[in-house]
Amino acid sequence: MSEAGSASENGDWESLARAASLRGADGEDQVDLLRELLSFRLDESPYAIPVERVREIVRVRKITSVPKMPSWVLGVVALRGEIVQVVDLRMRLGIPSKSTSRQSRIIVLHGDDDRITGMLVDAVDQVLRVNEDAFQNAEVSTESGAVNELCVREGEFVSIVDVDRVLELRAD
Amino acid sequence: MAARRSKAKAPAKKAPRRAAKSSARRKANREFVSEAEEILDRMREDLVDLGDQRTNGIEVDPDLVNQIFRSAHSLKGLAGMFGLDGIGKLAHHMEDILDGLRLGRIAIESPAVDLLDSAVALFTALLVDIEDPALEEKHTRDIAELIRRIDSAVEEPAPAADELAGLALDPSLLRALTEYEEHRLRENIRRGRHLALVDSTFEIIAFEEGLSELSAAIREVGEVVSTLPSPGDAPESQIRFSLLVATDMAADQLSSHLDIAGASVREVRRASQAEAVESVESTSVSGRPRDQASRPSATEAAASPPSAAQAAGREAASVDSRSATARPETAELESLRSISDTVRVDIRKLDELMNLVGELVIHRNAIESIAARLSTDASAARLAAELTKTNKQLDRKLKELQAGVLDVRMVPLRQVFEKLSRVVRRLRRDQDKNVSMDFRGADTELDKLIVEQLVDPLMHVVRNAFDHAIESPADRRAAGKPEDATIFVQAFQRGNHVVIEVRDDGGGIDRAKVRAIAESQGLVSPDDELTERETLDLIFLPGLSTRGEISETSGRGVGMDVVRANLAALGGMVEVNSVVGRGTTVSMTLPITLAIIQALIVGVAEHRFAIPLNSVLETLLLEGHEIQRSEDREILNLRGDALTLRRLSEEFELSGTRNDGKQYAVVLGMGEQRVGLLVDDLHGQQDTVIKSINGPIREIAGIAGATELGDQGVVLVIDVSYIVGESTRRMEAA
Repeated sequence: MSEAGSASENGDWESLARAASLRGADGEDQVDLLRELLSFRLDESPYAIPVERVREIVRVRKITSVPKMPSWVLGVVALRGEIVQVVDLRMRLGIPSKSTSRQSRIIVLHGDDDRITGMLVDAVDQVLRVNEDAFQNAEVSTESGAVNELCVREGEFVSIVDVDRVLELRAD
Repeated sequence: MAARRSKAKAPAKKAPRRAAKSSARRKANREFVSEAEEILDRMREDLVDLGDQRTNGIEVDPDLVNQIFRSAHSLKGLAGMFGLDGIGKLAHHMEDILDGLRLGRIAIESPAVDLLDSAVALFTALLVDIEDPALEEKHTRDIAELIRRIDSAVEEPAPAADELAGLALDPSLLRALTEYEEHRLRENIRRGRHLALVDSTFEIIAFEEGLSELSAAIREVGEVVSTLPSPGDAPESQIRFSLLVATDMAADQLSSHLDIAGASVREVRRASQAEAVESVESTSVSGRPRDQASRPSATEAAASPPSAAQAAGREAASVDSRSATARPETAELESLRSISDTVRVDIRKLDELMNLVGELVIHRNAIESIAARLSTDASAARLAAELTKTNKQLDRKLKELQAGVLDVRMVPLRQVFEKLSRVVRRLRRDQDKNVSMDFRGADTELDKLIVEQLVDPLMHVVRNAFDHAIESPADRRAAGKPEDATIFVQAFQRGNHVVIEVRDDGGGIDRAKVRAIAESQGLVSPDDELTERETLDLIFLPGLSTRGEISETSGRGVGMDVVRANLAALGGMVEVNSVVGRGTTVSMTLPITLAIIQALIVGVAEHRFAIPLNSVLETLLLEGHEIQRSEDREILNLRGDALTLRRLSEEFELSGTRNDGKQYAVVLGMGEQRVGLLVDDLHGQQDTVIKSINGPIREIAGIAGATELGDQGVVLVIDVSYIVGESTRRMEAA
């Protein structure tokens, strides 16, 4: 955890992944039923998304606001020559927005058709390898409908965010 | 906005998702199909010509056979690149037939030639079904079957009676000929033409020019069978060539026809005479000693680069006692050489170069501002001045580099026009309409990237004209028009834009019908009052498809809304004008290049935006009282004309705009339209690279893209066509 934490501090995605695979090599997990998730926090609550949707994690940089966009699109940032929209996950999930801190990160997600999108979160934790039977349906449909599953991790519920739902364009 | 290009980047450390893989395969297939289609179209046309020459008993044009050979060769290469072995193999067998044909091993009357048509037909079928894995086995069988037939049709050549034996030519020269050249030599002998050797000496530095001038002069009256560099007594700075020429002229006639200083002509006798080569009237004094007459020896020919292939061929020949089958490699080398003087470059590589140049420009701008800061410091003023000077030189070189890279990206519209005319030919075959195409301005150049993005919208507009606008021959007769309709496509440059107009002489757009459809789809209410133009512009609304009334050709695929979006994404715009009964004109206005553009940076409150300078006509500083109201719009008296004004702050709902009365008006022009955009501040001009914006929201109204400016971060680029278009719509509504 501490190792992963420091890696995310640097936004170093490779060492995060390496740390995750090292944990897997310890042995006791059953490889075929594992799902790999990247966990992060909004306030103190843990959330996670499938790692294969993550392209990279970067520190927060200057976001240029874009006129006439839905409120949950914060604007655009430059990412090594690419211009990428950044979505405020808090607002997308109906949690009041708050200003970014030293821990805030932009998770760059793979979308459809080779498109990418940035997603602002309060802090990035680690890569989880979770056994398939630890998942359960979220049951209650939330307003955004973006959290459809939960998993239990060290006695704590982790909300699994449906990335496609987050990136879905709605008429608001 | 539409992604201009996509960068496929695999997730770090993760295997690519399967969906991505199969979509990549599909994409590759599509790419293959589009390129292969082009080659097949060309081949089909050439084969028709070949068939004509064949049935009419005309001498088959060797250039035509070569051209088909090159097409087959390109197809083979293309198939290899995409890993489509079956298609590659079949193309290879086509080459065998064509190779036999051009080397005279296969007679034009041979049934093998018919198999060329079969092969093209099979390719066409393969392209159509390329996505269907179920048919893969059938394809493999079909290909194998056709290859078997080709193999059995391409029989071994009968040993030809050697017409060359009686020829008064040095045997070493004969050996230096490629198989193809030898074939041409035999062919010309068979036709009873005169043979001659034309010797000429050129300055090495300019020999290409001189040689091509000489060859061209010869081609006016005959054929250059072979061009061989010849050794001899030429000074070091010169190079001597011997051209083996076949003409209907005797040597002395040829000599006076050529009339080129330094060229000597000698007739090559056909009977074996004691005198091998007779020197005839020669316009130069540099006739060479007879014993040495112009034959490259084996080593000499090999030493001079242009004949390396010939030398290789000769070696093969000496091992294999000149059997014809040992030579195809040589022929292939030849054909490769002839098409490889241009380089195909992936447009993304040019993009990368352009991006690099763009970044250099950003750094240069940074240096400039450092120099400016330094100059305020008295102790560093001298250094600052030097820095500024050096930076200016850097700037000049950067501009040259930019211009160079830009120039490489520019392509003429000719290819697009050819594609269009092919599509229309196909449509004409399928439908009972006589439509001729009239293309103008095919040499107008545009950025390759724009041309690529332009093909689909342009194709759609032309198809629209064909399907929807042009009436049936009967209707045209009834309307008193000629039965043959014309679609007129014209490209021309206007300022920093290129305009492409598609004009037809069809029925025009019926505004009442457009309105009725829009109402039936709830896009406008029956109470809305619309001007003529607004009604016409309804065709750009998504969902307004007039498919119901007319054919399916353009019904599927994109609508005019997509045409407009595509053009906006390119920083251009589309306008429609139509007169019922007379015809419709669709004009598309495009920037010449997307790569690097000059932009004017403007500000409203703390926001910065970039406006492509090619759309800016002028900028004005306005005092509050100069802005007048007329109903709900603001106007300005611009040298007697009323200019509609729009406030960027209102357009983009920006707060904090200055309200002290002083405003800048940026006068924007695109197509025929003008509008003044009010902003708080002007922040100067910058070279910018416009990039598309990645993310879930694909189209941002009024934004054409974004650019990175060294010190100001990401700045959004205003879509001028949106601002100008919106304003026109409002004005006409008023």
